Amino acid sequence: MSVLPLAISMGIYYWFSRLRLGYTFSSMLLQPVVIGIFVGILTGNMALSMQIGAGLQLVYLGVTSTPGGNVPSDPALAGCVAIPLGVLANMKPEVAISLAIPFGVLGVFVDQLRRSTNAIWVHMADRYAEQANTKGILMAAFLFPALLGFVIRFPIVFVIDYLGVDAVKTFMTVVPTWLMHSFEVMGGILPALGFAITLMVIGKKKLLPFFIIGFFAVQYLKLDTMAMAIFAICTALLLNLFKIKEEA
Amino acid sequence: MDNMTTVQTEALKEPAEKKTSRLEKKDITKAMWIYYLGAELSNSYERLQSLIFCASMTPVLKKLYDTDEELSKALKRHLVFFNTEGTFGAVIQGIAIMMEEEKATGKDVTDDAITGLKTGLMGPIAGIGDAIIWAALMPILISIFLPFASNGSPMGGLLPLILYPLITIGVSYVLIHQGYTLGKKSVTSLLNGGKMQSIIFSANVIGLTMMGALSASYVKLSTPLTFVFSSGNKIVLQDILNLIVPGLLPLLAVFLIYFYLKKRGPRYNLILGTIVVISVAAAFLGIL
Repeated sequence: MSVLPLAISMGIYYWFSRLRLGYTFSSMLLQPVVIGIFVGILTGNMALSMQIGAGLQLVYLGVTSTPGGNVPSDPALAGCVAIPLGVLANMKPEVAISLAIPFGVLGVFVDQLRRSTNAIWVHMADRYAEQANTKGILMAAFLFPALLGFVIRFPIVFVIDYLGVDAVKTFMTVVPTWLMHSFEVMGGILPALGFAITLMVIGKKKLLPFFIIGFFAVQYLKLDTMAMAIFAICTALLLNLFKIKEEA
Repeated sequence: MDNMTTVQTEALKEPAEKKTSRLEKKDITKAMWIYYLGAELSNSYERLQSLIFCASMTPVLKKLYDTDEELSKALKRHLVFFNTEGTFGAVIQGIAIMMEEEKATGKDVTDDAITGLKTGLMGPIAGIGDAIIWAALMPILISIFLPFASNGSPMGGLLPLILYPLITIGVSYVLIHQGYTLGKKSVTSLLNGGKMQSIIFSANVIGLTMMGALSASYVKLSTPLTFVFSSGNKIVLQDILNLIVPGLLPLLAVFLIYFYLKKRGPRYNLILGTIVVISVAAAFLGIL
């Protein structure tokens, strides 16, 4: 697929996933690991799309779980930019992850803009409620924020993806080796931030030994993730059986 | 002509009959779907989920109240500030619908009682919902299937995309109907019973173990530093680190960031900046 339709598709995807239509559905839709499927279909390079998506996912694993729904970082904007650009420029996943970070930060401001402008529709709904206009209230809750959302979301991703492909390709050819290596290092460390945030969100300091058990079960015993999930579930069930629970 | 008027009066009678009959199950399910679809869509800083809560009540309120005046009052009642976790929040919806029905059928339910119930429950319910649905279920689901994605398979994204909504909608469906039939009793079991605590505890144990396992595979940090002694002996630093504890550097990275966040609060951009600076400097100097 050439760059123009790709940039348009990614812009639409960003708008639709960030529209948040469907509470938990949309929150999955905006995860890099799901964006990877879409980019994989568009570019025909499913393997690399998913690998970049997976790497990026780790950085943002705990991000959507912050109480109150405030986004400290936007995985959708990061994914909608870094995955297609990374695939087209044939980047290593670690390098694409580093590329994504500034866009994740930019996305926060975009979301603040949306939540501020959404106040318009509440006031509109106040008037509809006065008139007992239930249809109007549904329009204010769905249609109007969706339309404004398109104006806010679509252009950002479209412009970055459309102009970015050439820029990124040129960059990849001129960047010195040590700097390229620093992106790989960055991409290797950044998931640590994702895990740290997830630990924060879970917020049980006393249970941290379970984290360490998981870590070294993989380091020493080379268990895979599914095996780890099975052991973890059984451990949790047994602990409940013996009623060993923390107080609080 | 006569026929016409009888048809008309019958049509007029219908809503009056509905007033005494209970709502149908599908009306309540419809309210759940509207809330599910738009819980975050119209979210604003000013009143957060108030607009979608009101919108989700429209199919029910339209059936309960016949006059525009009553309907308008009910709609305004549900436009007040509201915010909770959307999956477990369904139970609040269920109870609110039950109270609206009681009010509409002539029982003595004040406006304040309905609003008070909503605002009283939204905090505790959000606590349970955030802990189970967002801090536990979502990262666990993603991490279980993540290896598929890192091996290049779309299943790594597809399975969480299907399972997460399926599970949460199932929870919402059960809770809204429980809220409607059991009323306030439905939340006492949620809030007081040790059951929720057990579920949160189990989810935390599973979540933390999975995070540890993933950290071991996906945080990549090693040093190429080697020391060559005059005697010709070569020491590779990473080999020594591996002898002490394999994965020491990745583990340190996670815990350093974690304890920094814990102490200083969520300064994500500062941490991001630090990671960038350290990576560039260390790559330049050949340390990492």
